[in-house]
Amino acid sequence: MTLREAAAALRARSVSAVELATQALASIAGLEPQLNAFITVTADAALERARQADCELAAGAGGSSGPDPLLGIPVAVKDLFATRGVRTTCGSKVYENFVPDYDAAVVERLQAAGAVIVGKLNMHELAYGITSANPHFGPVRNPWNLEHSPGGSSGGSGAAVASGMVFAAMGSDTGGSIRIPASFCGTVGIKPTYGRVSRYGALPLSWSHDHMGPLARTVRDAAVVLEAIAGHDVRDDTSSRRPVESYVPAEGVSIRGMAIGVPANWFFERLDPEVEAAVRGALQLAASLGAEIKPLRLPDIEALNAVARVILLAEASAQAEPHLAERDRFGADVLALFDQGRLLAATDYIHAQRLRRRLRSEFDRLWDQVDCLAVPSTPNLAPRIGDRTVLLGGLEEDIRLASTRLVRGINALGYPALSMPCGVSPGPGRAGLPVGLQLIGPPFSEALILRAAAALEDAGLRIPPCPLFQ
Amino acid sequence: MTDWKAIARARGLEIPEAELDRVAKPLETLEAVFRPLVADLPAALEPATGICPLEEAE
Repeated sequence: MTLREAAAALRARSVSAVELATQALASIAGLEPQLNAFITVTADAALERARQADCELAAGAGGSSGPDPLLGIPVAVKDLFATRGVRTTCGSKVYENFVPDYDAAVVERLQAAGAVIVGKLNMHELAYGITSANPHFGPVRNPWNLEHSPGGSSGGSGAAVASGMVFAAMGSDTGGSIRIPASFCGTVGIKPTYGRVSRYGALPLSWSHDHMGPLARTVRDAAVVLEAIAGHDVRDDTSSRRPVESYVPAEGVSIRGMAIGVPANWFFERLDPEVEAAVRGALQLAASLGAEIKPLRLPDIEALNAVARVILLAEASAQAEPHLAERDRFGADVLALFDQGRLLAATDYIHAQRLRRRLRSEFDRLWDQVDCLAVPSTPNLAPRIGDRTVLLGGLEEDIRLASTRLVRGINALGYPALSMPCGVSPGPGRAGLPVGLQLIGPPFSEALILRAAAALEDAGLRIPPCPLFQ
Repeated sequence: MTDWKAIARARGLEIPEAELDRVAKPLETLEAVFRPLVADLPAALEPATGICPLEEAE
């Protein structure tokens, strides 16, 4: 059952919110020993909220297109979103006892839309990494293959959605942290335009790169959640005042005539062959649906990635500096990144911001040629837990740098980008690992890339549930 | 190429010697890409403020 199907079933009274919450909690209890996707489960609060939702549903509320589209729907949030009265660890020892007296904007909006939050999701420590092998709360495991990583940093979000524990989950994306777990776990994940979703109450990693967005099992489910959480918030200085569009694509939506750019450089270099085959297949499907596939060359992505890394390193270290004297409170990988950021010069950061402006101007010109870009989300399949490198195109790459190679730069540009499943690996030894297709659009084009994704999904670009799905 | 280990020691960041390679090597790799980009920036190119809504930056 999808989120929208569950909303319809609730409205038809063929299932109750308490039944859905009870199923979600049972699924969590059954799968947690294997997946370790949650840091905190809020069972009592969820059941109480579900009982309220049933009362509201009995009074005629609910429905995925109404004012409370998530009424009675079980969801979960990454443990960097502040939750009033509920521990919010950010996957870190630094915040292990932090109990906020406020809710993040995203949590407020989910609750206002009627969602039943069943818990807080495990993640890479401080959202600063892509494996979700958390040294304090244990590694999250990929529901497609428990020996593999779910990606990160929103690894618990990807695992919980893919395994069916919840219908949708909230993640954050600073250098790919929604799109990477979406790709590795075979879910849809959307990083909206910078400023589209409030960052208020989300523990920051890099102020100018942090984006908040949902992961869900279908494109339209992700759109329902995005529509519920998007919009202006005076508490976030970067929040856009632009009105929120209707994001949920209509049934039978078309991409006929849509100009989809396929870069000849960077995005199709050094790919796992199974990733390339699945993404090329998706492009053929788009062409068969009437989209115009336009080859093009992109500005210097390697430069963009370097600029994004300098900005992230500097902002993250500045944010964490008050805590860095206590080195034993951090995992080794995260600590090394914080140390790197502390060594950069102020001029490096300023130069990176100057380059960012120039590159943004160069990339903006792409939108005169195409409506969106279609590329792989990650060049690799989900790595085995503990892997530090991956061999791609004959070159051994650091697993973090490889996995972020196709997503990181988009955070510096602030563009919306979506990952959706486009295949499953048949390869020996790693059979069943999903492949992600990434759609990238100009600022505030969420509706367009969701429409493109929905058309592809309707035409069969989807994968079966993972073996652990409940 | 910048001597990142020397900078770490000079700044008194208390990074153990055993961890310095983990810090310096990625910075050397990053610097090899980043530093040439900076070499020819025009003086008139100002920084992106970074932290503002995109429509205000347009």
